[in-house]
Amino acid sequence: MKKQLATVSLALALLLIAACGGNSNTNNSNNTNNNNADEPKPISIIAREDGSGTKTAFMEIIGLKGKADPENVIIQTGTAGVLTEVKGNPAAIAYESLGYATSDVKILKVDGVEASTANIKNASYKISRPLSVIYQEETLEDEAYKAFYDYLQSSNAQKIISDEGYVSIIDNAAEYTINGALSGKIDVSGSTSLQPVMVLLASDFESLQPNVEVSVSGGGSGTGYQNAEEGVSEFGMISEEFNIEKAPSCTFHVVCKDGIAVIVNKANEIDSISMEQLKRIYDEEAGEEAITTWNEIAK
Amino acid sequence: MTGKAYQYIKARDAVMRGIFLFCAAFSILALSCICVFLFANGLPFIAKTGISNFFGRKWHLSSGAYGILSMIAASFYVTALSTAIGVVIGLLTAISLYKFCPQKAVGPIRQMINLLAGIPSVIYGLFGLIVIVPYLRDHVSPNGIGYGILSASLVLAVMVLPTIVSVSLDSLNAVPGSYYEGALALGATKEQSVFKVMLPAAKSGVLAAVVLSIGRALGETMAVIMVIGGSPVMPKSLFQSVRTLTANIAMGATELSGDAATALVATGVVLFFFTMLLNISFSLLKGEANGER
Repeated sequence: MKKQLATVSLALALLLIAACGGNSNTNNSNNTNNNNADEPKPISIIAREDGSGTKTAFMEIIGLKGKADPENVIIQTGTAGVLTEVKGNPAAIAYESLGYATSDVKILKVDGVEASTANIKNASYKISRPLSVIYQEETLEDEAYKAFYDYLQSSNAQKIISDEGYVSIIDNAAEYTINGALSGKIDVSGSTSLQPVMVLLASDFESLQPNVEVSVSGGGSGTGYQNAEEGVSEFGMISEEFNIEKAPSCTFHVVCKDGIAVIVNKANEIDSISMEQLKRIYDEEAGEEAITTWNEIAK
Repeated sequence: MTGKAYQYIKARDAVMRGIFLFCAAFSILALSCICVFLFANGLPFIAKTGISNFFGRKWHLSSGAYGILSMIAASFYVTALSTAIGVVIGLLTAISLYKFCPQKAVGPIRQMINLLAGIPSVIYGLFGLIVIVPYLRDHVSPNGIGYGILSASLVLAVMVLPTIVSVSLDSLNAVPGSYYEGALALGATKEQSVFKVMLPAAKSGVLAAVVLSIGRALGETMAVIMVIGGSPVMPKSLFQSVRTLTANIAMGATELSGDAATALVATGVVLFFFTMLLNISFSLLKGEANGER
């Protein structure tokens, strides 16, 4: 009986200690919230995993091509994970495809320019990237594949692209002409950034050409390169500038452009950030220059 | 007539024997395929990059640094901490279910603990991501980071509970009741009999439970990836974004190509090596347990 009591009381003691520890720290964080403007508010830096198209493009645009993430970075392996984290973490900063950014998070201006479709098209908003399909030249010899390729440039496709919040880059496109005799099966795979709009494009194309089946799957830009190069898919989707070394036998077509939004928690007081500041946040080798707290940005 | 029936039975036996042999061979075939895939891709890669690079501290794909030491360390810490938490809670649970709680409650409690084993790991990860990580971040963490070794260990500790409870309870139940009665007859209290007699007698079974849960914790991927943070740096704190071996493989598997993808296979080789060590020690412990009785 004694032992039993001892065990129970030990467990209770442990719980108490844990609770006390929790409390004392809560007090600390409350103090931080009551700021004292000088109280440092560390930035939680959120990034995507290596190989992600969004990451590759973002790092390249802010001038950190091929650099590693800063040490205390938190890596989320998908768009949804990034949004969830930023939504719940008041100290977070992250980058995310503009088409994905929801009203649950705050989109920052970059160098004073708002991340809008118009600003991406006229290139005043700097952080944007092309979303492309890559394919082998011979692919277009097939009628069905060529038709899909033409469809991607038609006004039908441009309308869907703009409706979804992506940036259409083809002005005055002609309407798609239906070829009644067409049949076949088209496989498209790759970047998860292009995937959602490609799914809509594919189903619209299928409704115009009922005998053609288009299957769209994800996997990331890496998969897009690999599948197009190996001929597994007729079209690979990539969300970065086409890198011919990754798929030597392929060529590319830019389907649309996508802005990368810099997002923070709704409670964050910051509205705008500069490219220079972004670089100092995301640069692993910034050293003394590194920005690690929100206070440094507010100034 | 009888000759015909005999022939028929004989033929049927031969066919069935073939089918069973195929089934047995199939799992061996699967195992050897995976081994060949791992070693044929991974070992040449390790040889090519060099032991000092591959077991170095720096994982930086674009500059060709494939050091996985930080991930081995992170895997080690996460596994050790989660097993420690899991074993303390799980073993005490098993002991309480063994002699100290009302017999009527044992069945339902065991059922519920076993139910834990049936929850998909992604659900544990989601729970960790939405509940544990923000809680640690806001109330416990000294540096405002909820991700890291502690959150992963807490999630894993719950995941390994069913293994520890059921295996150690089974091994306690397997100890002959006469030991317990003998201890009581010699004047030992109930607690003394259980802790000093029954538990030592079930020692190897309990150790086996520990080894099994280490294996589970080491190999778990989905739940860990969601709460570990993922930065490939040496772990220095419980609240720091780090990356385990399994997380490293899963994070890059769909995105990387070329050498970087092969580096993931090589990471798999290291993981396979650790898992094999665990399996061997498990078999040894099991052999010892059977030998004792």
